[in-house]
Amino acid sequence: MLQRAELTKYFKSTLFIPQLKSKTKDAVLKELLDLFVQVKYIRNRDLVLEMLHQREKLGSTGIGKNVAIPHGRTTATSDVIVAFGRSEQGIDFDAIDKKPVHLFFMVIAPPHDEGNVYLPILGSLVTVLNLKKNRDKLLKVNTFEEFIEVITGES
Amino acid sequence: MAKTSLELLVSLQDLDLMIEEADEVKKLGFSVTGSTELIKAREELAKSISRPLLSRYEQLRAKIKRAVVPVKDDICLGCFLRQPTSRGVRGREDEQIFTCENCGRMLYWLE
Repeated sequence: MLQRAELTKYFKSTLFIPQLKSKTKDAVLKELLDLFVQVKYIRNRDLVLEMLHQREKLGSTGIGKNVAIPHGRTTATSDVIVAFGRSEQGIDFDAIDKKPVHLFFMVIAPPHDEGNVYLPILGSLVTVLNLKKNRDKLLKVNTFEEFIEVITGES
Repeated sequence: MAKTSLELLVSLQDLDLMIEEADEVKKLGFSVTGSTELIKAREELAKSISRPLLSRYEQLRAKIKRAVVPVKDDICLGCFLRQPTSRGVRGREDEQIFTCENCGRMLYWLE
């Protein structure tokens, strides 16, 4: 498990959307993935999108409590990076509790990652998001700085 | 557009990595009820790859786990050896599959 302060290294202001436009599961995967494409973190959008869809076949990454963490390793990237998006109205993401998802964290990792941080990042996100007070705060953040304060536990 | 052989290998490896880590991901609290479906998808995908290439991939995977690795700034991210710049020009086109002369992994140029 990663310390919360360490977790912040994997977020970027360019991969932060406080108001997602998407209304469907497929659209939100694309909207978040497009951020990675715009900042050139991945080479081939279609291959990564296919990987994310396959991951959803394995089981929805909607872990309940209005949270989804779509994730996967792909050969089409070299860095572990996390994107965040929030949907005010909520999106049907086939979550395990069937509730709409408001908070999305997309985690993309290469086949090898320095320090093997991919699984610890997923574990830390699950831990942070299990706490209602953190989810409530994330539902209200408007800026990347406010978001990081919640992730580090400073807010 | 049809995938190149290298893109098919990238998809195959992405699926293999997912299947490989499914148990660990489950321990973190994620749902992984669709393993059988994923294994079937993997079998289908493997059928679309030429026998010699698939066999090369499987051999490498058995030996060094990650058979295909990204190349960034001309560096093989499997063993960190710099690849000749001249190879990168052709490597980026995905038409020919290059292997790292040091570690033997198949290379996927990121930019």
